[in-house]
Amino acid sequence: MIHIDRYAYRSKLKKTDPMQKLFFAVLTLGMCLWADSNVISAAVLVLMGGITVFRGGTSLYFLMKLLAIPMSFLLVGVLTVAVKISEDPGIMLVSLPMAGVWVGISQQGLRDAGRLFLKALGSVTCLYYLSLSTPLVDMLSAFKRIGVPKLMVEMMGLVYRFIFVLFETAETIFNSQNSRLGYASLNSGYRSLGGLASTLFIRAYRRSDELYTALEARGYDGELNVLEEPYQRHWAGYFAPLAVNIILIVITLFLRQYEGGRLG
Amino acid sequence: MNETILEVKDLHYIYADGTHALKGINLKIPRGKTTAVLGGNGAGKSTLFMNFNGILKPTSGQVIFDGKAVDYSHKGLKELRRAVGLVFQDPDSQLFSASVYQDVSFGPMNLRLPEQEVRRRVELGLERTGILDLKDKPTHCLSFGQKKRAAIAGVLAMEPEVLVLDEPTGGLDPMGVSGVMKLLKETQEQLGISVVMSTHDIDIVPLYCDYVYVMDRGNVCIEGTPKQVFSQPDALRRVHLRLPRVAHLMEILQREDAFDFCDTAATISQARKALKSVSRGWSF
Repeated sequence: MIHIDRYAYRSKLKKTDPMQKLFFAVLTLGMCLWADSNVISAAVLVLMGGITVFRGGTSLYFLMKLLAIPMSFLLVGVLTVAVKISEDPGIMLVSLPMAGVWVGISQQGLRDAGRLFLKALGSVTCLYYLSLSTPLVDMLSAFKRIGVPKLMVEMMGLVYRFIFVLFETAETIFNSQNSRLGYASLNSGYRSLGGLASTLFIRAYRRSDELYTALEARGYDGELNVLEEPYQRHWAGYFAPLAVNIILIVITLFLRQYEGGRLG
Repeated sequence: MNETILEVKDLHYIYADGTHALKGINLKIPRGKTTAVLGGNGAGKSTLFMNFNGILKPTSGQVIFDGKAVDYSHKGLKELRRAVGLVFQDPDSQLFSASVYQDVSFGPMNLRLPEQEVRRRVELGLERTGILDLKDKPTHCLSFGQKKRAAIAGVLAMEPEVLVLDEPTGGLDPMGVSGVMKLLKETQEQLGISVVMSTHDIDIVPLYCDYVYVMDRGNVCIEGTPKQVFSQPDALRRVHLRLPRVAHLMEILQREDAFDFCDTAATISQARKALKSVSRGWSF
């Protein structure tokens, strides 16, 4: 999962203004949650997935694999929605009597579960669109522009940068312990793991000290001022996401009217 | 103009834990030249370098930049750090941003330069270090050598007058070493900056350096041009250093095999010349 970032760097949408991408993803996500309709959720899934694959150049196979990750959580979660407890077995499709009540799956429950499932999948696709087209560095610059406190953005940037250094260090220590049979038995494994954790902590502390010194040498005065590379920026970039979402909202309203009329 | 850009007078430095790292250092960094600081591990090179740009404040003694004693006020330090750029040994502790471009822009941004000027310097720094094509890459995907170059670019972009490098060739492969040394030499020729570097790689010293200081346990024990320093092999060995390989070979030829060289040779081309002039006297 740590390599999801590499796909973002390879995306053809990387050069696009991150603000536009953030706007598109968040707007569509919000719309998908608001609409709460199967048709719209499916449309968002296809739309955002399609843009990621065709405009961004991410392979469909990889996107499917990523979508399979939340699937297990989703299925378990959805199952609990589908299963209902009721005193009236008449509303159930399948049910079991249990301590005087009926536990089973009703048609309404099944419908709710299906809708929740699609809604969640559609929303996740919105986020995948963002993370597969926008490296974190670009995301941070967008955060800065929408007014997230500077300190927080800087912290996120440093955490992100040093996660990789930390991983590398941990891997080196682990390999050196492993090659000296540090994990040969359960007992020595625990001992080695403890050593790894404490060494890692000390290294991280020293690393932060060195970083501060190095920053100071380049004139650090409390703020990590950097210049971003210029992005391709265009007003039309905001127009297209807005138009797409307005169309989807209109469809939602139309569907509600239609369904409301039919049910009423 | 002053011949000496940076001078250190009777510099002592004692760490908080009581380690007496520098014990009365006196040295002069010549303007526009490359100066090497040699010395075994723990000789005090890194401590000395951090005194050069005010990261560490001397316990006693003076650091003199361009004829003026360093002013340790906030403003004075800022000015000093613009003029004396320090590149650290481990690029992973210097590169703080996940974007190479942003990292290189950090120094010039702190100089409060206009955006256009910062962009120009960043591009130039990346170009000089030969990593312009990596500017879109995330830092954690670079190789060690590329990180090292990125770290140098970040300091070069501040356009310092003195470039101080702690082990610029440490951990690099042979091609990487000559690549970094060539780029330093080229940059120096173009900008006329002074370079100070510490190294364990003795063989590159006669090739790229104009002046040498040898440190041992917090003192300067030998100084001079590479020629002068490498003509004192015994003194070098006492402080756990050695001659360049070529100079060592020449020394053995002279001592064991009765070759008669009129001059010490420390590089391949010097040795070649010396050997040719000797062989001319031979009859086949």
